[in-house]
Amino acid sequence: MSSKSNSLQTRSVVKSTNWRGMWTLYQREVRRYLKISGQTLLAPIVTTLLFLTVFSVVFGGGRKVGELTYIEFLAPGLLMMTILQNAFANTSTSLISQKVNESIVDTLMPPLSPFELTTGFVLGGATRGLMVAVGVGITLSVITPISIQNPSAVAFFAFNAALMMGSMGMMTGIWAEKFDHVSTVTNFIILPLSFLSGTFFPISRFPELLQMANNYNPFFYLIDGLRFGFTGQSTGSIETGIFFVIAVNILLWASCYWMLFIGYKIKD
Amino acid sequence: MLVIKTRPRHGQWNILGTWALYRREVLRFFKIAGQTFIAPIVTALLFLAIFNLAFSGQGRSVDDIPFIQFLVPGLTLMATMTAAFANASFSLMFEKIVESIVDTLMPPMSPGELTAGYVLASTTRGLLVGLAVLAGMLLFTAVQIHSWAFIIFHAFAASMLMSVLGLIVAIWADKIDHVASVNNFIILPLTFLSGTFYSTQHLPDAFQTIAHFNPFFYMIDGFRYGFLGIHDGNLLLGVVLLTILVILFWFACVQLFASGYKLKW
Repeated sequence: MSSKSNSLQTRSVVKSTNWRGMWTLYQREVRRYLKISGQTLLAPIVTTLLFLTVFSVVFGGGRKVGELTYIEFLAPGLLMMTILQNAFANTSTSLISQKVNESIVDTLMPPLSPFELTTGFVLGGATRGLMVAVGVGITLSVITPISIQNPSAVAFFAFNAALMMGSMGMMTGIWAEKFDHVSTVTNFIILPLSFLSGTFFPISRFPELLQMANNYNPFFYLIDGLRFGFTGQSTGSIETGIFFVIAVNILLWASCYWMLFIGYKIKD
Repeated sequence: MLVIKTRPRHGQWNILGTWALYRREVLRFFKIAGQTFIAPIVTALLFLAIFNLAFSGQGRSVDDIPFIQFLVPGLTLMATMTAAFANASFSLMFEKIVESIVDTLMPPMSPGELTAGYVLASTTRGLLVGLAVLAGMLLFTAVQIHSWAFIIFHAFAASMLMSVLGLIVAIWADKIDHVASVNNFIILPLTFLSGTFYSTQHLPDAFQTIAHFNPFFYMIDGFRYGFLGIHDGNLLLGVVLLTILVILFWFACVQLFASGYKLKW
């Protein structure tokens, strides 16, 4: 018998990075939510429009935030909120449902390294966040007077927000043991942070102490940065935001990698 | 000769069975009390915080009532409605998916008893969630009571109406996706736009008229009247409409169970 046939190589056909495997995982993640696009794409658009209606009825009437009308102020915030919530929802629910119905083994068996798994999942989630954002953005551009002042800021903050929530969702999905855990994180951490980080009103309305705390809140920088991209106005420093967001993303991404590497709650 | 009687030990009304179903349904949502009670409180408080902070120092009011006090009844009833609908729709839907629905349909229970068990349990959840949310908000603001009768009637009516609607949706739906669609595209918009967050007087005239065709508007309006003594619509019309809708949909549920629509085949 030739040595070729009986030597079991774990990663025989792939060299350094299993691009095809990663692409397949990414594709599966994207198709998973496109299959229920009514829930994953259309529903967030409707929700955003509802928020816009309610807030413009309540706060409308010529109210201004700095130099912006309230609607101009609100629209980028809502857009960021959709990215945050949807990117998070995708990776967290994908992983937890695979764990609950024990099909996670089909994802872990193929020759995919922790790096490739992380990338596939996180980019899948990020894609959903961005797709919803494009849908919401188009709708908002029709009914509100928003325009893009700084396209690179919009692209940077939207993409990084999607990545950040994709990896946070992934960590939650890995850690959670049942759906209940995921909804706990969503309801008690993600929702409050995405509501209170300057989405609906300027941070200056906060008490002093909370304003200080917001200097360490990545969501604040994301919302502020995106708003800067659309309106040219910002509350915090955009440079600080860029560095902070990149640092947080690297940290989160590395944490996902590490969790998969040691097999935390996934391999026993 | 063997005689099989379908309902040997019970009289006209299988009270024990109805009670057992009711209890199972109530225990079901108590098992995840964190999600059923704490989460709606957090959501309501978030809305309260957002509106409060966004308005800070602007002294906004609706009919001389501070906006926060205007908001409290709306948020309470919104939580009640969402919870009642979610409970009724997801419970039966879930049983259908995991095919344990047969365990509910097998026992000697009539369509009326099934409807009563499910609807009353969801109503209970709606009311308890409303109480919890109200208690949470009372930590931050005070409320006045104008008329207990209106508060109690509208809380019950809203809770029951959402429960019967939820049950109908659950019977009709083939997968969770369907339930979520109804929730996202019908229930949520109707709730948000029913005057929870604003007085419909603030809407343009055309939209005011449309808003008054929304049955959810009458729940919120009457409930708020019970607290604040102000209302936008016709209160008597609301009471009559809600009563008729609850009775109508209740019998629709009974009819659906009796016909076996999407449940027996």
